[in-house]
Amino acid sequence: MDSSIAEQQRILASDWGGGKSPFGTSWSKFMMWIFIVSDALTFAAFLITYGFMRSISPEWPKQTEVFNMVLITFMTFDLISSSAVMAMAVAAARAAKPKQAVQFLALTILGGLIFLGCQAFEWTHFIEEGATLTHNPWGVPQFAASFFVITGFHGFHVLSGVTILAIVAIRAAMGKYSADGVENAGLYWHFVDVVWVFVFAFYYLL
Amino acid sequence: MAEHHDEHALNYKIYFKTWLWLLVLTALALGIGYAPLNESIKALLLVGTTLLKILVIAAIFMHLRYERINLILITFAPLILAVIMFAFTFPETLGNATHLIRVR
Repeated sequence: MDSSIAEQQRILASDWGGGKSPFGTSWSKFMMWIFIVSDALTFAAFLITYGFMRSISPEWPKQTEVFNMVLITFMTFDLISSSAVMAMAVAAARAAKPKQAVQFLALTILGGLIFLGCQAFEWTHFIEEGATLTHNPWGVPQFAASFFVITGFHGFHVLSGVTILAIVAIRAAMGKYSADGVENAGLYWHFVDVVWVFVFAFYYLL
Repeated sequence: MAEHHDEHALNYKIYFKTWLWLLVLTALALGIGYAPLNESIKALLLVGTTLLKILVIAAIFMHLRYERINLILITFAPLILAVIMFAFTFPETLGNATHLIRVR
């Protein structure tokens, strides 16, 4: 214990010495990031489990033949576009232009609703063709099981995102509007897009 | 950080350009998906384009490039832990591991 007064002062003056934010964000944005990191771990576990099951399966159906890839590609385009519009909504909110922010938010919500509609359509088809959690006509049960679990979990995130964005948009339209609130909702929405990028590449294309 | 945002605030052009780049990367991923490649090479290329895409989304859409390094490092945690989980589980798949799943 030979920490001199100078050493103590050095520590107190550092980011971690107390009384400062080592992350340089508001508490709400930091909490959103922590949530995103933990949620990313959940999806990482799902995707690794899927990869594991696929590697040990004797064969795996060709997804491009089972799924309507035009629809899947459109869904990817839709989600990326809504993410870009969301980024513009955050920019408008930061620039104190609530009207523009609400317009961009409405477009983002529309993108989310279109995505959910496509997914409902895809699930209906998949189930009508005979897919369940334990059986499917194309190959090992794990094929449909991982489809339902991964896209279902992601779809639920999209639904939650649309709900959150709707609340933020309504509040912004009422004038109860904070740039931080819009940005935090935006972070979550971009994360949903990031997850879909992974699902698109590893579940549909690989 | 907030002051930094405001400078760039009404510059929608950057988001438009990013959107175009993401579409290019998506097209690239689609091309890789349909290319007649060996499955492990395909997986590697898809991991590459996917990481590039999430890097672009995180840096520009999620404003991570304006954040402090402390926050940026936190976001790498899931990636590192995913690599560890992958490294610990995948050796199991190398042998004859079909007993681990119900095939029919």
